[in-house]
Amino acid sequence: MLRRRMNDRISNMNDTTKSVYTSLGIVFSVGAICLGLKVRERTDIGGIQATTRVAGSSRMLASRSNDVNVPAADYFYELSQKLKEQYVEPVADDQKLATGAIRGMIASLGDPDSTFMDKDQFKAFLNARTGKYEGIGADLVLSTENHTTAPKTPGQPSAGEISPEEALVLVREIPRVQVVNVVPGGPADKAGVQVGDTVDSIDGHWVVQSDLIRKFRIASKKFNEKKMSRADLEALRTEIRIKFERAIFPMKAKDKLFMGKAGDVNVVWNRNGTMRKTKITKGVSSLSGFTVKNDTVMLPFQEGSAAQLKSAIQGKSSVTIDLRHNTLGDIQSMKQCLEVIAPKGEYGYFVTNRHDTPTPLNVLKGNSNPPKIHVLTDKSTRGMAEAFALALDSKGLIPHDKFLLGGDRTNRQIVQLPDGSGYTLVTSEYQAKLAKSTKSMTARKGGVK
Amino acid sequence: MNKGGRLLSFGGIVFGCFLFGFAWPDLQHGKLPNAHTVNALFGVRSGAAASPEQQFSHAYSKILTDYIQAVDPTNLKYAGMEGLMSSLGDPHTIFMPPRAAEAFNDETKANFGGIGARLGADALGAKISNVFDDSPAQTAGIRAGNIVTAVDGKSVTGKEIDDIVTMIKGKEGTLVRLTVIQNDKQRPVVLTVKRARIIAPTVDSKYIAASQVGYMSILSFSEPTAEQFDKELAKLEAHPLKGLVIDLRDNPGGLLDSAVDMLSRFFESKLVVKMKFRDGHEESAQTMPGFIHDFKYPIAVLMNEDSASAAEIFSGCLHDYGRAKLVGTHSYGKASVQNVFPLIDQSSAKITIAKYFLPFTPFFGRKVDQDGVFLSGGLEPDVKAELDPKSIIDPENPKTDNQLWQAIQVLNPTPSESTKH
Repeated sequence: MLRRRMNDRISNMNDTTKSVYTSLGIVFSVGAICLGLKVRERTDIGGIQATTRVAGSSRMLASRSNDVNVPAADYFYELSQKLKEQYVEPVADDQKLATGAIRGMIASLGDPDSTFMDKDQFKAFLNARTGKYEGIGADLVLSTENHTTAPKTPGQPSAGEISPEEALVLVREIPRVQVVNVVPGGPADKAGVQVGDTVDSIDGHWVVQSDLIRKFRIASKKFNEKKMSRADLEALRTEIRIKFERAIFPMKAKDKLFMGKAGDVNVVWNRNGTMRKTKITKGVSSLSGFTVKNDTVMLPFQEGSAAQLKSAIQGKSSVTIDLRHNTLGDIQSMKQCLEVIAPKGEYGYFVTNRHDTPTPLNVLKGNSNPPKIHVLTDKSTRGMAEAFALALDSKGLIPHDKFLLGGDRTNRQIVQLPDGSGYTLVTSEYQAKLAKSTKSMTARKGGVK
Repeated sequence: MNKGGRLLSFGGIVFGCFLFGFAWPDLQHGKLPNAHTVNALFGVRSGAAASPEQQFSHAYSKILTDYIQAVDPTNLKYAGMEGLMSSLGDPHTIFMPPRAAEAFNDETKANFGGIGARLGADALGAKISNVFDDSPAQTAGIRAGNIVTAVDGKSVTGKEIDDIVTMIKGKEGTLVRLTVIQNDKQRPVVLTVKRARIIAPTVDSKYIAASQVGYMSILSFSEPTAEQFDKELAKLEAHPLKGLVIDLRDNPGGLLDSAVDMLSRFFESKLVVKMKFRDGHEESAQTMPGFIHDFKYPIAVLMNEDSASAAEIFSGCLHDYGRAKLVGTHSYGKASVQNVFPLIDQSSAKITIAKYFLPFTPFFGRKVDQDGVFLSGGLEPDVKAELDPKSIIDPENPKTDNQLWQAIQVLNPTPSESTKH
């Protein structure tokens, strides 16, 4: 209607039409500016809507108003500027500031599986993902499992009941450095290190553990109830002080074992409460990668695995997939392998703790004539390998015997920064069947520093 | 102008407006969009690396949208800022989110009332390490060695000592109920204490008769410290003295003027400290004439990693001018001046704006790694002595404190002791 009326008037230009054009022009121009801003915002932050940027230089400073939400990017800019203007030494390296900020954000998650890694750490991590290890030749995680009780069955997180006794001694959980995979034939393997071992000390440096602090709290309570002598309490206190004098934090301890191609480390391992002393010479070691032996396929989830799997099962009526020593698998590769070997269908979900819709793990085309599948798993079957095994199991594609798994079904994004450092971010967790309430999912535990 | 031309120019203006809008965030900062941004507009994954600011924004958004559980955007932003500022490796250049900034203000203003006692960490809560004379705590019957297990009925077992102190402090004139375990009583007692303005004594002394050594402990450098020092020194000098131990362990520093006043007892009109600013200008402090005191005996200064700032200036100058031997472990390494810049949302940025230098010691500023672990810095002791974990700090009984014992040996070497090792 309006449009037609305007067309009518075009042929008959007068002042009214001119002002209509002018106002239209203004509307379009303003619209274009807004669109430009919007598009810019999306390009800046990778397609994610965020608060509009408002603050200009120096507006952030010297104001007295309350409750102002300064967008993060402006905050970053302003603080960087402030440092450059004021800091006692010249600050030239913006990259260092950005890396530091990202490191700070990741650390604030307090999640042992979402970690920031500097250049060397990240390089070692990426190499391990392709099966090339250095250090002692083992995968280590920071585990917050309660090591004093029996290990829980994978997939069965314990109910979060806390007794008053426990509440008293509840110390902020400091994760333990735990072995989750040992490279066969590597230095750790030769030294007899096993999956499940935790690190007690490295080269005489005690790795900080919350158990000891907890033990002290319990002792203090006993002392208070006159069930323990002052001398015993003092002795325990002295022991703790001595240990803390030469302590290292779990992250550092992990690096000491995971990185380096030469040199000896003296490690004391804790295996179910028994201490084992070892001397390990660091060096390079590697996992065998994709291999076929008889009807058994060693299947790491990395680039190219799906194609190799496809040709390996060609014309075979049965196949055994070895998922041992498989901890750092790639989700894309895992999905492709599932596509190769499993028929079309829904194979469980990737869920989050955010009350959003679970993402189904779908096999779109699939293999309409799949071979009989057996899997070999143990505690070093983790991450995407564990999800793969559980996915096959959810459709009854593998014999439903008890099979051992590592107990980690998290999916992690891996991000590399331009300076070579990088980080992992846990984005979801695999579940074969949707739990009624997402609350039953393992809550991410904090305490890493 | 024909119709097509008009349309074209109109389109041109609109496109120009779009570009202006697109470039606005950069124009605000006085620059043009970089290659990466422009390429991203056309959907090109450019070879040019994302700018640091973009990397940060990207990570920030990624964590908010992709992390397995919801994260509070404000806390995440503050965590990022903390990381940004700590990336310089200077433990004193820090970001303070609103809550921490508030605490810092309280601390510097110090207009809070207390009970007049010093507290130390204890497994059951907080242990009273010292009760000031005529303080509300003393009036209420609290004694050194008592253990506070609850404040206003709330258990403090397992809480951090700083948090307990915050609970005990409050407005002057108000009451606080402390549940206290006293050595001579079977059950904990509840004592009500009226908070008051506390001027903490900063100097304490003890004559160690067995070694004929004076022991002086300086807890911090505040306004009355120099005067208190004179008073305590006079007390000690009433005895025969073979030496003086000045204990600066755990002394966090305080006022530079106070340290200068104290040093004026040792030497006249000499350089104490030189401050160098970013722009190259310098400021310095010197001791004053007319306050000199004749120390007729050797002096040893005890220090540890918690001796900082003014305490380091004091001990460093005594060392540099050859007036004292330093005993203990390396000091903290606070050799810089900070300025606090308040930000719009009540948080603030504390930034090191100058460094200071002792007369002869090279720069001793503390360096830490990204986790805050000590790398280097601090004053090195002349005689190294790590505190034995079994030590009990008690000047009445100097042998139970191996660092103090070491300092006494430095002053008063007796043949039997010096040949021991």
